[in-house]
Amino acid sequence: MNHQWTDRLSEYLDGELMSAERDALETHLAGCAHCRDTLAELRAVVARAQSLENRAPAADLWPEIHARLTVRRRFSLTVSQLLAASIALVVLSGGGVWLALRDGSGTSDPTMAAFPQLVAPAGTPVAWRARTDMAVAQLEETLAQNESRLDTATVRVVRQNLGIIDRAIEKAQRALQADPGSAYLNLHLAQTMRRKIELLRRANALAVAES
Amino acid sequence: MPRQVLEADVALAASGDADAFERLYRAHSARVHSLVRRMLDGDEADDVTQDVFIRAWQKLGTFRGESAFGTWLHRLTVNVVLARRKSVGVERGRFITDDQPLERATGRRETVELSMDFEEALARLPDGARQVFVLHDVEGYRHEEIARMLGVVPGTSKSQLHHARMALRRYLDR
Ligand SMILES: [Zn+2]
Repeated sequence: MNHQWTDRLSEYLDGELMSAERDALETHLAGCAHCRDTLAELRAVVARAQSLENRAPAADLWPEIHARLTVRRRFSLTVSQLLAASIALVVLSGGGVWLALRDGSGTSDPTMAAFPQLVAPAGTPVAWRARTDMAVAQLEETLAQNESRLDTATVRVVRQNLGIIDRAIEKAQRALQADPGSAYLNLHLAQTMRRKIELLRRANALAVAES
Repeated sequence: MPRQVLEADVALAASGDADAFERLYRAHSARVHSLVRRMLDGDEADDVTQDVFIRAWQKLGTFRGESAFGTWLHRLTVNVVLARRKSVGVERGRFITDDQPLERATGRRETVELSMDFEEALARLPDGARQVFVLHDVEGYRHEEIARMLGVVPGTSKSQLHHARMALRRYLDR
């Protein structure tokens, strides 16, 4: 770096010298191979910088980002909403459904009015089960999309309830395999499936209300 | 991804659609991560990239579309990086003061350094010189803007750029 002009070569390259300085530097360049070489190298560095390729992060950062987004956008349920979401849990745990069905209160549940096609399924089990399975599949898909809007505690309650309901459904289906014609078991299965639909609808409604 | 698709996603994401925001992340993460990686130490790049997208999500409501979303996000990235730089406060020999910056900054023998590629050599520059170089030569900022962002005078930005370029000459080969 013995040349007084070497330190100005970047400014020259970037067109930032005043015209008098530029002229003087160009005069020097004409007679100094060292500075010409250095200038060529600096030009190559700039070209290299402009051709650097962007590379995606090695790990997918989206899951972590997404989790932190939903922290901000989550909402907390009131106690009564949590209780509402837990109704299925209360009813279904400990054989509650069987008792409810025996005393007839299960069929008078006003929330079932929304699903008239699911009522009295005993005569045509195949048809109502196909419709119910489709409704459940749609609601589960919707909930999968909406779940991130619910806070952790709500998601946990909903999942717990779904787990209990699914086990009840499985049990009823096993019993039906042994006794396919049982009106009682068919009604019980329909009732349980409707509980599941109700729970899914409720969870979706809560999530959508905050979207 | 077609531009109009991304623009629609910007609007959707601003209204709170996380799926749309994920598409924006997929489209822009390489550029953001690369900028962060070049400006800061590599092990911070993932964290800071996450911070950038969290901030973008929070601030999307203020994006008015005067500039392209990519430009807006890029500017946000630089701001997050520079805020990080201030809050961390530890800068490795922030600016170059002689003609042997890499050796001084790393304490390594030249023979070792000659095996480094360009990006590695860039990463070993002192923070100040590296940030000036990335902002000017990689990202196209002008010295006046860089000086303002880094809190130095434009002359410092110019001389650090020159030192950085001089140091990087020997690492041009891939
Ligand atoms: Zn010369």
